[in-house]
Amino acid sequence: MLASGGTSDVFIELGLVLLILAVVGRAARRIGVPSIPLYLIAGLAMGEGGLIPLEASDDFIRIGAEVGVVLLLLLLGLEFSGEELSDGLRANWTSGLVDLLAGLLPGAIAGLLLGWGWSGALVLGGVTYVSSSGIIAKLLGELDRIANRETSVVLSILVMEDLAMALFLPVLGVVLAGTGIIDGGLAVALAFAVVGAALFVSIRFGRHMSRLVSSRSKEVLLLTLLGLTLLVAGLAELVQVSSAVGAFLIGVALSGRVADDGRELLEPLRDVFGGLFFVFFGLQIDPGSLPPVIIPALLIGVVTAAAKVGVGWWSAQRAGIGLRGRWRAGLSLVPRGEFSIVIGGLGVAAGSHADLGPTVAAYVLIMAIGGSLLMRYADALPLPLRR
Amino acid sequence: MEVFETRLPGVGVRYEFETDAGDRVGVVVRRDGQREVAVYDAEDPDRCRASLTVGPTEAAVLVELLGGSKLTERLADLRHEVEGLAIEWVTMRDGLGLTGRSIGDGRIRTDTGASVVAVIRGTVSLPGPGPDFVFEPGDVVLVMGAAESVDRAVERLAG
Repeated sequence: MLASGGTSDVFIELGLVLLILAVVGRAARRIGVPSIPLYLIAGLAMGEGGLIPLEASDDFIRIGAEVGVVLLLLLLGLEFSGEELSDGLRANWTSGLVDLLAGLLPGAIAGLLLGWGWSGALVLGGVTYVSSSGIIAKLLGELDRIANRETSVVLSILVMEDLAMALFLPVLGVVLAGTGIIDGGLAVALAFAVVGAALFVSIRFGRHMSRLVSSRSKEVLLLTLLGLTLLVAGLAELVQVSSAVGAFLIGVALSGRVADDGRELLEPLRDVFGGLFFVFFGLQIDPGSLPPVIIPALLIGVVTAAAKVGVGWWSAQRAGIGLRGRWRAGLSLVPRGEFSIVIGGLGVAAGSHADLGPTVAAYVLIMAIGGSLLMRYADALPLPLRR
Repeated sequence: MEVFETRLPGVGVRYEFETDAGDRVGVVVRRDGQREVAVYDAEDPDRCRASLTVGPTEAAVLVELLGGSKLTERLADLRHEVEGLAIEWVTMRDGLGLTGRSIGDGRIRTDTGASVVAVIRGTVSLPGPGPDFVFEPGDVVLVMGAAESVDRAVERLAG
């Protein structure tokens, strides 16, 4: 379509991509669905086999997408302090464990049934496990449910999932790298040690670290945060802990004012690069490969949605929440989004089964849109309110 | 009166109490300083029937309207009564923190969510100082709010 080479082509393509995201984001707001699934659809529509082939900007989008993952995880980490995570772990580990099993097992079993082998099964299990804290937090605010009593249950489970992600990603990295059992075991042990040490440091010395990083100048703070995060992400990647986990831990280690200012400064950057990441994931998938995987994705979706509703219902019951609230808590855990795509993306990059990418894309589309609708209409659904 | 405190990870803290008339009231203190006041539904006790989002300044006005000026008198009692409410005395030192600058200048309430409730200067106590109040060395400042907010306010005041 375009003459090869030259900055002009890169700019034109990037401009088009961002404008398409803007138009799509506008549409998402208008019809009241999260923007992530629509970004994915935009990515599917572009690239090979799509409406707008991208050639010149391929490299930039690929690196931009990786920066997007790092920023997504950094911002997630900035939401929580090390104390919040360890408190949460102490208070909610049973719910967290039940959630892990209920979320991971159906996906993993489906992966095995589809014949994707152990690593493919682990990827799919991760995809079905992590709820989208981005979509859920946004919807809780939009639906005026922050003050609802069941919301603390939902948020506690999300924190546990985020913490589990920090341990899951390095394990997944090792499994996908396909190293031997001994080397792999060593790498996993190293990963766990790094995560544990980082949490310890953040609880003990987080305040000092925050003071060291903090600056009155927004410019200096932004540069420090970005530089530090990319450096640690790169180092983490080097020791096979995964750059995403490195970024997450930096976010956790920083707290207080630095974290607040950092969130404000980095959110726009995350939206740009995160958008590129969702597009990039879509780009890698030929839209023609979607129809055959829709039925399995739908089946996995129904089972894993039911599992999440069960987990939410049970945890809310344990917290003394009424029937309506239990349903709301359960339905609030259904949406999957950004982190399912992060995990799916790792699988695709490592060359898992060819159906993995399309299945994950279809699954996230179904769960992001369907889940947010379930959440929105939780009070209007004719649910059994008696046991 | 019993006030229940629940942490909302990533959001802030939710406080809850029941009025004598039987209404359950919740207040969410967000980390960004926004407050949400909610009244719970009688039939669905976990859902808020109505909620009201107020910024730090509006919250201060609301407190004032609800009789907050009596707050300082009751401080001693409150300290023992209200869970999750932190109170801290800070002595201002020459050349450090906000000494020589005004409350408004330091954006204490806007940025930290905590309030400067009173200042003791020498033997005089000055309750409810306004945004134009300028700290002098030796002033003893009483800060109140959620524990985390107070920590941040103290850090800013003392430097």
